Amino acid sequence: MKKNSNNNDSELIEKVKKGNKMAFNFLMNKYYSRVYASLFSFTKSHEDSEDLTQMTFLKVWQQITTFRGDSAFFTWVYRIAINLAKNYVSSANFKKQKINTSIEEADIEIKSFDDSELSLIHEQSLHKIRNFIGSLPESLRTAFTLREQDGLSYEEIGKITNTPIGTVRSRIYRARESILDHINQEIIKND
Amino acid sequence: MTNINEKLSALYDGELEKNEIDNVLRELENSKELKKTLSIYSLIGLSIRDKQNITHIASANLRKDNKIFSKLWLSNALTAAASILLTLFVVNYADFSRMNISTESANKIASAVNSKEAKEVVANSNEFLVDHIMNVINDPAFMDTKNTIDLRNVGYNISDKQNLGYSNGRESFKLRIENSDFGLNRIRYWRHGNKMIYLVPISGGRVVTIYGNISASKAIQIANSIKQ
Repeated sequence: MKKNSNNNDSELIEKVKKGNKMAFNFLMNKYYSRVYASLFSFTKSHEDSEDLTQMTFLKVWQQITTFRGDSAFFTWVYRIAINLAKNYVSSANFKKQKINTSIEEADIEIKSFDDSELSLIHEQSLHKIRNFIGSLPESLRTAFTLREQDGLSYEEIGKITNTPIGTVRSRIYRARESILDHINQEIIKND
Repeated sequence: MTNINEKLSALYDGELEKNEIDNVLRELENSKELKKTLSIYSLIGLSIRDKQNITHIASANLRKDNKIFSKLWLSNALTAAASILLTLFVVNYADFSRMNISTESANKIASAVNSKEAKEVVANSNEFLVDHIMNVINDPAFMDTKNTIDLRNVGYNISDKQNLGYSNGRESFKLRIENSDFGLNRIRYWRHGNKMIYLVPISGGRVVTIYGNISASKAIQIANSIKQ
């Protein structure tokens, strides 16, 4: 039973500290879009937000050993991102700085959004996704929204819905798979 | 749990058993599909958890799309313009009479635009020429040249100093001169709404573009005055 809904993060971070790129890849893919969304509120530019997001994760990889676990991992990542964003806002030479912080020099592969991912960050796509979530069977919808919207752990969701944790896990997974199928068939396919 | 995707979903939620993490990470490392699935899980979560922020981004993307759509429209318009080129080159004498053009001018223009050579030029499609015409139609500033030309000898005064238009009270137009003849050796013209676009080759390998509600005979007269 895990009450902390991001409990696996600490295990993954320990792996990253030992140089485990697979664990870093997981954390980067998990948090990339959240960091990007946060940065967008500063830059109002897709290109700059994505550049800053990549630079953020490059710094995460380089500085992970300094993460002491005093805060949640995302909070620490967010702080790095916001510091970079402040430099971006105050510096007219951001483009030059980008060149000096070349991601190609790092020994790690940094993610970028592909076209299908970008196609999801559109009003029409978001509307379709939210509508589809609303049409999910009640049991899947409840488990999924309690997890994603309210951030509850599987254990907490199980208590609220009077359901075993294994069932909660399965329902959340089935909800995600249904949404993923819908996205592949109705959104990405049509691009 | 046997399904790797279900394990991935649980790891994403931070709820996977510790002894199963390495297995999922290995699978993830070898599968682009799984990485993409993980990334989309994250975007789905964001779409319902951080509605305000994501909507801002989506709105910005929508504005970006509008620019793309305008480019697509332009691209389509170029194709349409190529069709216009083909269409207008088979204009016959009757068309000229409807445009109130004198028979003499009509003869000159008709012989130019209906010639075999002209049709071949059009059939080969001059992309640069189409581009030029689309600039005339789509870019309001394109015809605002800085150099004014004295056209009082043919009855036209500058009507709008700001936008450098010419008028004789009844007809008005804008004019610009290119230091390239686009390979033209005959008059070319297009109809756009209630206006006409004329390209008239003049001396020195130049071409005059005249755009406005003006007849072909007047356009030729104006171009001839510039020649001199």
